[in-house]
Amino acid sequence: MTTVAPAARSLAGNLPRRRWSATRSLSYGFSALAAGFVVVLAVLFVWQSIPAWRHEGLGFLPGKKWFYPQEQFGALAMIYGTVIVSLIALLLAAPIGIGAAIFSAEFIPRRLQLAVKVLIELLAGIPSVVYGLLGILFLRDWIYRALTPFDPLSGDTLLTAGILLAVMILPTVMTLCDDALRGVPSAQRQAARGLGLTQTEVVLSVCLPQAARGMVAAVLLALGRALGEAIAVFLVVGRQDNQWPANPFSLRPLIESGQTLTSKLASSETNIAYGDPLHWAAIVGLGLVLLAMTVTVTLVGTQLMRPREGHA
Amino acid sequence: MHARLALAFRVPLFAPLLFVLLPTVWAAGASTLRINGSTTVNLPVAEAAEILRAEKKMDIEVDTQGGSAGGISALSDGLVQVGMSSKHLSDADRVRYPKVAFKEIQIGEDAVALAVSRDVWEGGVRALTKPQVREIYEGRIKNWREVGGPDRRIAFFNKEPGRGTWEVFAHWLYGDAKKAPQVNFPEVGGNEETRNKVASTRGAVSQLSFSWADGKTVFALGIKGEDGMVIQPTAENTASHAYAMSRPLFLLTNGEPTAEAKTLIDFVLSPRGQDLVKKHGYLRLQDLKQ
Repeated sequence: MTTVAPAARSLAGNLPRRRWSATRSLSYGFSALAAGFVVVLAVLFVWQSIPAWRHEGLGFLPGKKWFYPQEQFGALAMIYGTVIVSLIALLLAAPIGIGAAIFSAEFIPRRLQLAVKVLIELLAGIPSVVYGLLGILFLRDWIYRALTPFDPLSGDTLLTAGILLAVMILPTVMTLCDDALRGVPSAQRQAARGLGLTQTEVVLSVCLPQAARGMVAAVLLALGRALGEAIAVFLVVGRQDNQWPANPFSLRPLIESGQTLTSKLASSETNIAYGDPLHWAAIVGLGLVLLAMTVTVTLVGTQLMRPREGHA
Repeated sequence: MHARLALAFRVPLFAPLLFVLLPTVWAAGASTLRINGSTTVNLPVAEAAEILRAEKKMDIEVDTQGGSAGGISALSDGLVQVGMSSKHLSDADRVRYPKVAFKEIQIGEDAVALAVSRDVWEGGVRALTKPQVREIYEGRIKNWREVGGPDRRIAFFNKEPGRGTWEVFAHWLYGDAKKAPQVNFPEVGGNEETRNKVASTRGAVSQLSFSWADGKTVFALGIKGEDGMVIQPTAENTASHAYAMSRPLFLLTNGEPTAEAKTLIDFVLSPRGQDLVKKHGYLRLQDLKQ
């Protein structure tokens, strides 16, 4: 960057009249359009959900009951479902993804690295409904069978959804961690080797500390995807309302059905809600909660993704 | 900064975008056949409309604003030529629209079965009484043992509220779907998903459109009356209304159907149209006549 910037500046200085080239105007225009959409979206969500906030007050968030025929709208059980499912996904995908990234970036030959990278990125591009159908076909039954000693009611559990999500975000974790590791200059690796460190020591004390920031960002961006994933979760989570557990720290709720924000939004209740302003507002309110969660996680993630000062 | 921003907008960038964003203008010709009403009836009718559009170049719009009630009111107000309804016209409807000569054309029947998994069926549960179904639905009976079955928890998969199947079930159980109490069960959507999940779960039961209970992976329970007689969910029993968890599916017209409306109705009543009715899990007219 540092070598390119002065050249670009002098170019701009020489040609002040051509500052607003078509390319530049287009870029500005479309960026403004994109930013505008985000703002309009947020405003729309807030505006459309006003009746729900009026009806429930702030109790909308910690409310445990959701039963629309009696106009009870509490989002807590769904927020819980979303958080738990995403956490399970992260706990499973982060160690495996980071491990795989270390292996592919540090331990295998260059040519093989490329092949692995292409494969992983292909995985990241598979539509989520495909994962969902695989989940219905295999994962549900596997988990149902594996959990038999614990007597789950069915194979549709928060755990099933979490594991499915883990598989889905694994490529994201891995490919972004891989990028972070490759961002560590190889001169440093060589210097460390020159000092007599083994390859493992180089990874542990040179590469990992420098790539840590990027790897945390990778995990957060994957979390953003996990929070927002709808269809795959919808198919295996069970969609059972009001599953706020008596003891939030027990593991039992994990092998019971639940509801996430996204599975609720994808359900037929959205169609029913459309004619009823309050019900609709509550549904949009759920969307707003989800939006706030994903935006926060993604913003923190992209912030960390930026290289620190002094690193290219 | 402001000057720069203004410059950006002076460039006529947004003109082409306007064309993209403009909604498609649809020609509201006089020959358009408009249909509105029940989502349940909509499934085969929308597919029939698709075929007629392709084969006869007919201009048909099918909508499901307001369900059956929306179909009746839109037909009465002259907004559509054909209404779709999954219930008989009530006297209140005829009183409200005295000038409308309603004609009900039945195109099929939607029967709902309580479908159970193999272990429940083989464990000896072949029929339930209405009070038993209510106890199960309201969560007071939690084990199949209590209704003469195996010692296994009941895994109830509830059809999403708003689904036609759920409405039939709730109407049968409570007289009015709006009176159904709050229950907490895992929910299922389409018939495919329901059958799959019931078949692969021990102790499972769900409301399922009759024709999807295949008797190989999921099994339809009979309903035991107060006299101890078991009514099986068969086409004959549905036709004779002995099996009560069902409802007729209608197309409605104002007076005898004419022109495009007649073409559509004739098509739905033809063997091809009736196959569509069957495809969506309903009983055909010929199934009812047996």
